Amino acid sequence: MGRPMTAWVPDQPLLRVDSDSHEPALGGVRVSSLDPNLMAHLARYIQAGGLLQSILRVAVIPTGAPIADDLPDVFGHYQLLEDGVRFIPHFPFARGVSYRASFDPRRLGRAEFSEVLTLEFSLTAEQNGLAPEVKRVFPSSDCLPENLLRFYVCFSNPMRRGRVETEISLLGPDGEPAPDVLYRTPVELWGRSMQRLTILLDPGRLKRGVGPNRELGPPLKVGQDYMLVIGSGIVDLSGRPLRETFYKRFRVTEAVREHIALEQWKMVTPETKTRQPLVLNFPRPLDWVLLSQMITIVSADGQLLGGRIVVDQCETRWSFIPSFPWARGHYHIRVESSLEDICGNSVIAAFDRPLRPGNDLAYEAAKCSISFQLA
Amino acid sequence: MKTTLASDTEASGTHARRDVLRFAAVSAFGLALSGRAFAASTGAVSGGGGSGLLQSAGALAFGPDNVLFVADIRGAAIHAFALRASDVTSQADVELGNFHNFEGRDLVQGLDQKLGALLGTTLDQIVVNDMAVHQPSQQIFISVERGRSTDALPAIVKVNHGQLEVLELDRIPHSQVGIPNEPDPKAMLEFNTQRSFAITDVKYYNGEVFVTGVSNQRFASTLHRIPYPFNAQMATCTVEIWHPVHGQFETRAPIIRQLIKEVQGEPHLFAVYGCTPLVRFPLAALKDGAHVRGDVIGELGYGSNPLDMVTFSDPFDQKEYLLVTIDTRSASRVAVLDLGTAKPEPTGGPIDFGPGGLGRTQGLLPINAEHFAILNSKWAVEIHRHPKTAHRLDVSSLMVPYFFERRDGMSEMNWPDGPDPFQYREHRGEISRGE
Repeated sequence: MGRPMTAWVPDQPLLRVDSDSHEPALGGVRVSSLDPNLMAHLARYIQAGGLLQSILRVAVIPTGAPIADDLPDVFGHYQLLEDGVRFIPHFPFARGVSYRASFDPRRLGRAEFSEVLTLEFSLTAEQNGLAPEVKRVFPSSDCLPENLLRFYVCFSNPMRRGRVETEISLLGPDGEPAPDVLYRTPVELWGRSMQRLTILLDPGRLKRGVGPNRELGPPLKVGQDYMLVIGSGIVDLSGRPLRETFYKRFRVTEAVREHIALEQWKMVTPETKTRQPLVLNFPRPLDWVLLSQMITIVSADGQLLGGRIVVDQCETRWSFIPSFPWARGHYHIRVESSLEDICGNSVIAAFDRPLRPGNDLAYEAAKCSISFQLA
Repeated sequence: MKTTLASDTEASGTHARRDVLRFAAVSAFGLALSGRAFAASTGAVSGGGGSGLLQSAGALAFGPDNVLFVADIRGAAIHAFALRASDVTSQADVELGNFHNFEGRDLVQGLDQKLGALLGTTLDQIVVNDMAVHQPSQQIFISVERGRSTDALPAIVKVNHGQLEVLELDRIPHSQVGIPNEPDPKAMLEFNTQRSFAITDVKYYNGEVFVTGVSNQRFASTLHRIPYPFNAQMATCTVEIWHPVHGQFETRAPIIRQLIKEVQGEPHLFAVYGCTPLVRFPLAALKDGAHVRGDVIGELGYGSNPLDMVTFSDPFDQKEYLLVTIDTRSASRVAVLDLGTAKPEPTGGPIDFGPGGLGRTQGLLPINAEHFAILNSKWAVEIHRHPKTAHRLDVSSLMVPYFFERRDGMSEMNWPDGPDPFQYREHRGEISRGE
């Protein structure tokens, strides 16, 4: 881009944007090369209680008709410099927003300081990068049970919150959006990188006997086809919409209303001195996210084994590839009792379990463990 | 980049040269070294995003001694800011409206656009998360985020006589506590950066902060009780909450809104779930590590979310009421006395707010607020979309207990010659300030 055109004459006051591309937090606006006389008056003005925000002002230029007529200036802090004044906004200037800065010394009430400087500027939006897309949706299977609890949607880019309700829908067997099936969470459930979104089906309809379930029935009907639609109006960090609408079609199968029974898992043990995976096969899909966190392997002396976890085959297979070759000995596979399947059934109990008698509910987070031995 | 000179349009006659410069990219202008030296020499400069401590700003609650609790979902923490006298300004002289004539006032018009202007962005990048009222100043505090993605920056903004002021957090005495990770992070292979506990509510009661929320992974129903002042020695108490269903099933449920109140002499926690039941727990039962089953005493309709839960005293009958504002329909009002005596469990039949007898005393109120709080004995405050300009987000006062805004409606009393059975004309001059 180069240096600014030298349209200004030395010793003329200059109003410009401050920026350091290495430290954007120091960005601001400054007026400099001010007359020492003017600086002296400024200092007196401040001493008398005057505010620099009345003299050096930065405001957002509204797009479209402003709703309110007394919009505040951008909030920030001021520094008196040797030959000028500097404004540092409380939050860094945002890309794609137009600002107007003005330096107006007429408040000082001196006839010789009547020159007003104004500056309009904006930071261009970032142009690099690709439009976002949906990389994957979990559960992977295209046969999902009637009491499915949640989906995970994985995006290629960090996304902006706020459009889930309008852009994500579930189309019913008739091709129309099925009403009151997806749960509107009070806060959209994004992972910290804003690339993974959790969508829940309405728990009020999933839970047998709870009001919405009594009135509307379960969210999905067995034997019918549905389609999860992720609309292209959902935008990423830079405001780019999805490259295309994403569809996941699935057929609904019978509900799963039992806890996760570890004894039904099939294990394939590796050979000693190799780095073959330790494999667990499940009779039905488990939760993709929890599978990568809630199962760990511990050696006989209690040391957590380092390695890599792979979840595949529609989340019915969990494999652990150790960092180091397997030594002979005893191992324990630790399973957190709060591991869930795709319907919210945990190791302890089904999602909506039969009522336990009495009032004193014992704490049930058992440490579940499967042992194996390598010879 | 181009430079254009605009002609002076001032009427004063003195020649004022205006330089209007248009920048294509800010990187074209390197900052002279002197600028950075100044930043260092003049001490802490807080450009760059509010308090470095706060990563996000969500649910708000006031505690004792001017403490403001802020839920920080991104930072997985609860923050406590001990506001100093200089951080709060009394709003006791602000005109609230005409109580007798059901007329409130717009305390701030165009809140989101003004927040955008204040924080240097456009209104679509502003998210208002929560509102809390400080007593006794009656000053309104709002948690805001600028930006909707990984660029989101948090701020706490106060309303001061109609003007918005950013609460500068850097100098306020501060403490924080982390929300316990679950499961045990030491037992995990790698730290999961995507796990998030979306804190939905924070409330202070009798030396503890109660934190509820929704996990983006497990379907958990975790409630945290955290002693305040925050103290590493005193462990957070974590409770799993279950609720029964028709004497047949029991199920976990994340709490969306909560309220702690003494009823029948004992403190109870009233929780509204996402799957709609209103459940009651004696506080004493919510012990660390417990799985507690509450009494279901009501149900909201399907497809609705509770927004705020408050209690207020009706100035006409002096009774205390619980109010739950709901996003898809009118708010529900229930007498606090009935909360204690309501019999548990839905008995079947049509969906309403009161299976255990609460339905008879329930009132429906035409409140359509995104955020709602009680200001004083006669007034509440709401953040709402103005009905005629649905675009505009306003902060307005609303009289207690009918929460009815006469200016929004078409009523014969609004016409100069119309009937006036409630004597509006007589009471026209009675403007409330502070009460």
